[in-house]
Amino acid sequence: MKTGPLSQDPGSKRYAYRVNKEENRKELKHVKIDESTVTSTKGKKMDLPKKKFYRQRAHSNPFSDHQLEYPSCPGDMNWGKLYPYYYNDETKEMTKKVTIADIGCGFGGLLVDLSPEFPENLMLGMEIRVQVTNYVEDRIIALRNNHIGKYQNVNVIRGNAMKFLPNFFEKAQLEKMFFCFPDPHFKQRKHKARIITDTLLSEYAYVLKEGGVVYTITDVEDLHNWMVKHLTEHPLFERLNEEWETTDKCVSIMRNATEEGKKVARKQGAKYVACFKRLPDPTII
Amino acid sequence: MSIIHPVQSVVSSENEQVIYTVVKNMLLAYKKSEAKDSSYQLVGKWIDDTAIGGDNQEGTNNEGIKKAKSNEGTAVSKNGQGSNMSTPSTHAYIRNLTLSKNEDRLFACTDSDKAIIILDIDFENMENCLNLVKRQRFPKRPNAIAISNDEKTIMIADKFGDVYSMDVDAPVVEKINDEVEPILGHVSMLTDILFKESKNGKRFIITADRDEHIKISHFPQSFIVDKWLFGHKEFVSSINAPQWKCNLLLSAGGDDSVFFWDWESGKLLSEFNYAELVKPYLTEQHAAPSRFQNEANDVVEYAVSKVVSLENLPYVAFFIEATNVLFILSADLENNTLTLKAKIDLPGNVVSLSACKDAFILSLDNRDLGNSNFVKFIKFNNETNDFSIDEPLSSQLDSVLVDSLKTNDSATVESNEIYPLYNVTSLKKHGEHYS
Ligand SMILES: C[S@@+](CC[C@H](N)C(=O)[O-])C[C@H]1O[C@@H](n2cnc3c(N)ncnc32)[C@H](O)[C@@H]1O
Repeated sequence: MKTGPLSQDPGSKRYAYRVNKEENRKELKHVKIDESTVTSTKGKKMDLPKKKFYRQRAHSNPFSDHQLEYPSCPGDMNWGKLYPYYYNDETKEMTKKVTIADIGCGFGGLLVDLSPEFPENLMLGMEIRVQVTNYVEDRIIALRNNHIGKYQNVNVIRGNAMKFLPNFFEKAQLEKMFFCFPDPHFKQRKHKARIITDTLLSEYAYVLKEGGVVYTITDVEDLHNWMVKHLTEHPLFERLNEEWETTDKCVSIMRNATEEGKKVARKQGAKYVACFKRLPDPTII
Repeated sequence: MSIIHPVQSVVSSENEQVIYTVVKNMLLAYKKSEAKDSSYQLVGKWIDDTAIGGDNQEGTNNEGIKKAKSNEGTAVSKNGQGSNMSTPSTHAYIRNLTLSKNEDRLFACTDSDKAIIILDIDFENMENCLNLVKRQRFPKRPNAIAISNDEKTIMIADKFGDVYSMDVDAPVVEKINDEVEPILGHVSMLTDILFKESKNGKRFIITADRDEHIKISHFPQSFIVDKWLFGHKEFVSSINAPQWKCNLLLSAGGDDSVFFWDWESGKLLSEFNYAELVKPYLTEQHAAPSRFQNEANDVVEYAVSKVVSLENLPYVAFFIEATNVLFILSADLENNTLTLKAKIDLPGNVVSLSACKDAFILSLDNRDLGNSNFVKFIKFNNETNDFSIDEPLSSQLDSVLVDSLKTNDSATVESNEIYPLYNVTSLKKHGEHYS
């Protein structure tokens, strides 16, 4: 189905809202928000975006030929645009690299909560749905504007993590990868559409450094069992025990921070957590 | 008018003594005796008579994937460039014809039942040198195959991005859907696969896909990704590892260049841009499908269909789909560059290309050429220091082909009933899915 960026009824409130936000986003997305920008927005607090204006179909087929923007290799990525505070204008280099990725970040709740907890790390959410990505961008713009100097270490890109992760991250670049409430894709027998498969795990292992952690959480028990089975069987991952889980601060944040996690909590549903450590590569035979 | 079906692919033994061709759903072997000036004779034949879609479990078992498939297929099929990607196969293609190193076996894929076939070659058998020894079906259509150096393992790259490994001599697995897991995968259609050994004897699998990716994984530890080769901006359709040095790799597809890599270090050595060269050869067949056209109606789409290299000499050949020209490049192994060596004009569009020790062999879309010009041998001439068509050899094979096929009902067709010969350019992505 081909839908334009703003294909809804031009008379609608949602349309007007989206146009307005889009302009705002174009203007503010890549600026280094500091005192000077605040005066340009007249020091006003910006409203946080409203989710109802960013609704879109629940699923986006990861196999489809999407219009995506991605660098042709990690070296070509313009990270300065996403994290202007960490771009050195003189050396034209980033002072930090992204080390934490939230795969299928949805509305971005995890990033927002992780941001103050890991002030030394850059974090990236990757989300395939356009409107949802726009929401997260607008949310970060507003947060950066309303809390000067804060939330500079998080951002989002629209992308298909199942295809293009290696275009963004070098070998062993990441310390943590989050898979929070991934789409379960119940119907598929072979589950190739799932975001955790044996073959994709090898690609995740490539971008994760030794000792790095894959975090998973879901309310779907079958999916939990599936993820545990495949991660456990993969030679480059080893499950971390419950004791580790209770002491790791990301686990508790991940349980409660994401929009999906909150929804499950409201319905008093169960949440299944499993975390895995990236093992060293075995000797090459 | 009824014609003999064009040859869809052709491979040769090292010294061109034996030629294997695919015509429709048939494999045909032609051989010359050792004697000088002897001519080719039909020595083997194998027909894929499996009913199309026969024993196909896909419909019942893989509905989710099926759905994804029809989505993926939306970008294909355009005028004259029939493609069977969005619809179930209606043609019993035989693809990826591959001859074993010691030339005693043939490997190929059959579309009819999504299988890998292995045939023994035995010239002692005067009736028919080809004997099917194994036919292994797979869950998804195999798109490309690679054989390990010891020829014990065959790697199968499928349409849905998965790679399976199969023991050549193991018995057929009946319920392959349940029993076999892929050894690696992409979330994109795989277009080509190679098996390579590095300088220090480590083994690798190189896979290319419909996105722009070339991925290098270890073997047999295929869960360890070694690296990606980044540089393509369009789909990759063909990769080739020249024999001259073990670290070299060629790749091409929807981009305007042939890429020349050191795959061991991951470095792009150079690119050969052919955009200007190909211009005079583009026809209305290369016009982009109407929904991707501009107002001036001058958007063209073309792609390299295949890139190959000679075993003994530092020459590379490639062709652009639906053009009647072969480009030959010489590889400078000091400076790691590719330069144009020759441009061979042909009487029909090139359909397939392969290389042996010192000849390029191609088959042509000869449907309008009156049962001639099926296959061309292109050889390097030491005296002229140039490449040219070996006309005597080519026409000799042509006439034997005609003799052996003109009374063969399954090889003769109406000229508008031939198998689609052009399936590569339609792999181009157009970013049709916005949200
Ligand atoms: C059920 S939601 C969970 C969102 C968020 N992690 C949370 O917990 O609230 C799953 C998200 O993954 C996204 N997604 C699915 N496949 C993806 C892919 N291949 N690349 C990036 N995002 C993907 C979906 O668009 C969706 O927003």
